[in-house]
Amino acid sequence: MMNLEGLEMIAVLVVVVVFVKVLEQFGLLESGYDDSIEDELELSAVRHRPEALEQLEAQTRFSRKELQILYRGFKNECPSGVVNEDTFKEIYAQFFPQGDASTYAHFLFNAFDTDHNGSVSFEDFVMGLSILLRGSVQEKLNWAFNLYDINKDGYITKEEMLDIIKSIYDMMGKCTYPILKEETPRQHVEIFFQKMDKNRDGVVTIDEFIDCCQNDENIMRSMQLFENVI
Amino acid sequence: MAAGVAAWLPFARAAAIGWMPVASAPMPPPPRDKKRGQDGLIILNVSGTRFQTWRNTLERYPDTLLGSTERDFFFHEETNEYFFDRDPDIFRHILNFYRTGKLHYPRHECISAYDEELAFFGIIPEIIGDCCYEEYKDRRRENAERIQDDEENDNNNDLVMPDLSFRESMWRAFENPHTSTMALVFYYVTGFFIAVSVMANVVETVPCGISLNRAKELSCGERYALAFFCLDTACVMIFTVEYLLRLIAAPSRYKFVKSVMSIIDVVAIMPYYIGLVMTDNEDVSGAFVTLRVFRVFRIFKFSRHSAGLRILGYTLKSCASELGFLLFSLTMAIIIFATVMFYAEKGSSASKFTSIPAAFWYTIVTMTTLGYGDMVPKTIMGKIFGSICSLSGVLVIALPVPVIVSNFSRIYHQSQRAEKRRAQKKTRLARIRAAKSGGANAYLQYKRNGMLVDMEEEASKEAGQALVCKANPTFETQHHHLLHCLEKTTNHEFVDEQTYETSCMEVSLAKPSMSRSSSMSSSPHGLSSCCTRRNKRKSFNVPNSNMAGGRRGSIQELSTIQIRERPLSNSRSSLNAKFEETVPLNSEEPSYITAAVISMPTPPVTTPEGVDLASSHDFLQSNIVRVSAL
Repeated sequence: MMNLEGLEMIAVLVVVVVFVKVLEQFGLLESGYDDSIEDELELSAVRHRPEALEQLEAQTRFSRKELQILYRGFKNECPSGVVNEDTFKEIYAQFFPQGDASTYAHFLFNAFDTDHNGSVSFEDFVMGLSILLRGSVQEKLNWAFNLYDINKDGYITKEEMLDIIKSIYDMMGKCTYPILKEETPRQHVEIFFQKMDKNRDGVVTIDEFIDCCQNDENIMRSMQLFENVI
Repeated sequence: MAAGVAAWLPFARAAAIGWMPVASAPMPPPPRDKKRGQDGLIILNVSGTRFQTWRNTLERYPDTLLGSTERDFFFHEETNEYFFDRDPDIFRHILNFYRTGKLHYPRHECISAYDEELAFFGIIPEIIGDCCYEEYKDRRRENAERIQDDEENDNNNDLVMPDLSFRESMWRAFENPHTSTMALVFYYVTGFFIAVSVMANVVETVPCGISLNRAKELSCGERYALAFFCLDTACVMIFTVEYLLRLIAAPSRYKFVKSVMSIIDVVAIMPYYIGLVMTDNEDVSGAFVTLRVFRVFRIFKFSRHSAGLRILGYTLKSCASELGFLLFSLTMAIIIFATVMFYAEKGSSASKFTSIPAAFWYTIVTMTTLGYGDMVPKTIMGKIFGSICSLSGVLVIALPVPVIVSNFSRIYHQSQRAEKRRAQKKTRLARIRAAKSGGANAYLQYKRNGMLVDMEEEASKEAGQALVCKANPTFETQHHHLLHCLEKTTNHEFVDEQTYETSCMEVSLAKPSMSRSSSMSSSPHGLSSCCTRRNKRKSFNVPNSNMAGGRRGSIQELSTIQIRERPLSNSRSSLNAKFEETVPLNSEEPSYITAAVISMPTPPVTTPEGVDLASSHDFLQSNIVRVSAL
């Protein structure tokens, strides 16, 4: 008469579990979810070819030679032809080794990725650069407003501005002089809003922004700073 | 900053426009942009293979040769390209570094060739990408070990210097038995006695017949007690003598006493002496018998005689961590399974598993798949867990073993390689010697043939191969002219070794003095007389291409061994030697040095130098070679 005691039960259980595992191993028992399909998707690399040189020449304000140089640099770093956000952050972070440039790079990425498909192609890249380097002051200010307006609703709120300013300060890193205090970004936002928000409604519209900047000499002068970058 | 990212700097600067509206302070003025019209193609001609790249690509790394103005030194106006006389295959990788920012190491290339190219182009190897860095470091380490091995062996052979005291030579004889016959004899004698002693220990315990007095089996040791005692005494005496000699000869006695081998020696001979001292006291005889166990340590003395044993010991030492892991995991498993078995078998009656430590024995026997069968589980549960125990035992033991095996294999092959290299070295040296001596005569032939115009017909009569010298390239002729100038400066002449030797032997007195200092100063005496004599006669002995005399073997070997080592210091010292009165060079054969005082510098020093310089373009090497030969 077999009396299964406690320990014997455990032994039997162990044997059964091992048996099941072995069966699974041999594929006789289907258990668990299939993650094989997901693996396949990753294998195909994304490839993108830009428009022809003539078209880009027409659409942007760069000369043929300049476009060639730009494309060569772009393709060198991103052989697949598109930049995704992580690569973008990596590249941008190399220029600011002391601080954390990832947040600002995120905003920048969104500003460049005009069609919001999650990747910046060469066309996006070159269009953005064309505005920044060869555009009129109006266009540049437009672009800056677009950058600050995180949710692209046409208004810059204080929270959005705070995020932007904080991300800029993040790029500075820890070791600054004078030491960065907690309320510095907030104070900076206040100063900005005081300057820009004419009707004191708590948001800055595009017209307020452009008006205000055009009246500020410093800002106008600084917009011309990077004319000769390419 | 990675080079590729430099191409994105314009973008980063442009994006800075985003900061402008929120800036708290006015911006600094931008830097002067120098005209960037320089972006053209550069042609790099590397030994005929043309590489082309953008100028900007190269300028990404301004601290390397190609990125800085250093490359202007290689500019070739006629073809308007940069010409480098280097290996194009390796250059490909270097140029790819500029293009992609990653330096790769090709596996099929020789590590030292690659290092040289990197050094030439001013690239530090630390930037090799992660994909290739491991391989690079491994190969480099291997190479360094190999060179170190060679150097150690050479250093060992170097001590053929005469200035060894008796003590040092004795120590050398102990460490390298193949250096002298006495040492070899000693080596074999001790080996023989170790074997005899171990055999005696073993045979002592074999039952040897029944003694008639007592109805008990006698072991051979008891039956032939006296014989065994004499044998033991003899062995122990030999061992003691050997140990004392080693102790005396050791350069650092303290270190010697601490070393493993000496401890083994002591442990091997102590039981005998303790046995002598102790009498047949009943109380301590038990302990005395235990001491006899230590006699088996004599077998470890064999490790001096067997390289394989040493390698095994070294392997075990180097695999200490793996062995430790093995031990630890085994212990864990033993404890776990012993506990389980004990509780599983607790229920069954008359079970042998009386306690957990008692179950240890069962677990060990099962995990190592010995399975004696003296302890066997009787319950079903016990049997199930017992089978799991044996299955897991196989796994746990099998895991660390390959690591140990691969370690052993690596060390063993290393020692094999060292042995092979040593064996091949002799033939390699012989070949090098032949090549050198062939060229060594070039200068002497030149002197005979080309130097003095009126000698030409005489020279062509004397040496049939004078015709060869007529077709000397410009380099050779200029070089010979230089040596000739040197001869005129010092008012001595170059001769070959054999002539020098014979002249020295003529002049040397009968006393073979082992003086170490200023030995070389006395050597030229005979030579100068020979030279002056020869000058008048204007005839030279045809130098033998085989310059190895009877006793020359070791000199040549020593000289050529030195090829790789101590390049600069020796050459400098040898250069100084030409202009110094007394040259305290180490001489191989001081017996040929006379006591006569000479005031002239030593042409023999310069002789082989000049002769060798003619043969090879590698001045430093030849300098070393010849200096040490004398």
